[in-house]
Amino acid sequence: TSSVLSKDKDKSAASKDSTLDGAAKTQEDGAETPKQKLLDIIGNMKVEVTYRKKLQQLKASESKKQAMQQLEGLDSEDSVPQGITEDTLRGKPLNPELVKAASAVASSLPHNKKQTVSDLLAQLRRHEETTDKQKKRGTVNIRNVISEMTVKRQSPAQRGARISGRISLQLDEDGQRIRRERSSAQSVDSRSLKVGKRLNIFTKASTEPEHALKTVSSPTIWDLEFAKEVAAVTAQPPRNGFEEMIQWTKEGILWEYPIDNEVGMEDDAEFHEHIFLEKHLEGFPKEGPIRHFMELVICGLSKNPYLSVKQKVEHIEWFQNYFEEKKELLQEI
Amino acid sequence: MAATALCWALRAVQQVLPSSCPRQVRSYYVDWRMLRDVKRRKIAYEHADERLRINAIRKNSILPKELQEVADKEIAALPRDSCPVRIRNRCVLTSRPRGVKRRWRISRIVFRHFADHAQMSGVQRAMW
Repeated sequence: TSSVLSKDKDKSAASKDSTLDGAAKTQEDGAETPKQKLLDIIGNMKVEVTYRKKLQQLKASESKKQAMQQLEGLDSEDSVPQGITEDTLRGKPLNPELVKAASAVASSLPHNKKQTVSDLLAQLRRHEETTDKQKKRGTVNIRNVISEMTVKRQSPAQRGARISGRISLQLDEDGQRIRRERSSAQSVDSRSLKVGKRLNIFTKASTEPEHALKTVSSPTIWDLEFAKEVAAVTAQPPRNGFEEMIQWTKEGILWEYPIDNEVGMEDDAEFHEHIFLEKHLEGFPKEGPIRHFMELVICGLSKNPYLSVKQKVEHIEWFQNYFEEKKELLQEI
Repeated sequence: MAATALCWALRAVQQVLPSSCPRQVRSYYVDWRMLRDVKRRKIAYEHADERLRINAIRKNSILPKELQEVADKEIAALPRDSCPVRIRNRCVLTSRPRGVKRRWRISRIVFRHFADHAQMSGVQRAMW
């Protein structure tokens, strides 16, 4: 027991935890066997401990078994201080209670205490790192797991839902039904082929069958007629004023609220294109009454907020064509 | 003349919407005068830009007078229905040419009828 206590003190000195000294002292003070004391400590710690620590304690108990296997090929004590220094050198110090638990577990083991403590601490550190990683990327891993699970479980339910839907609506063509079954069967059976990081979440899964359908069926007249029939059957008369207004809005009879004053107006041109229109006057003579007239036209257009740039340019071009046609007349004058 | 009138009548007949919910659809114009007014509006819309530009040349003190005379002849050569002066704001429901309120585009008699049946939004019998 004295050797046990001395080795506990060594570990405490190496790991730089003052609380371990307290644990060692309590162990010294206890008249009972150290094993019982350790069990009490572990029991007390378990009551206070959170879920994460419980996980790590479970992992510590698992790592105990691994440590037992590792201990068969142990090196001399030279490796021990290296292990301890490694623990201390790592960035995050372990929870003191975890270290307590590790030391208590190691002391309960018959084999080399220091080696087991170092191994347990190493295991705990690795578990902490993995939990940190999982916290950062936890959603993705969970999604992977859940997506895999749902693909297996929901397929019969989905198929049942689809079949019931088909029976109720009786709208799909036979060709479309067969295609969907084929595509669904392919998606379930060929899951082994598509194993990888592909998650068939909405966008990819939805686009694939659409493309397949489009390539197979070109929109024939019969398809269009059928689509029209379907639309006529499904378009029930509106049950109340709200549905009537919805229908009107879809048809374009009613405006959309809140009213947007710039509906239909998509003038992407900037203000300088509206105002500085002199560059369009290059086809005209630089002097004379025509130039004077066109400058007045441009002045008026620059002040016009109702026309688009295209319309203004067309206006000027019309005048250009008109005056070119009348060139002979003008030269007589 | 009769053939063109028939063609116009056929064009005037609007298709009934193929929807299940019944809705009042105007299939015919009220009378021929209304039809002619509709024709005039369409042609005036088509030639509006040209008329504006040619008038800009005509009503001008800068350009030479010969040019303006040529523009006069050009505008006279346009179809007669293209001038907006020939459009008459008739009542939309009865085609009455007179007594039409511009805001509602209906004649005074129809306006009174609807207002008394409370089918005109915001219109009330005056009392003061």
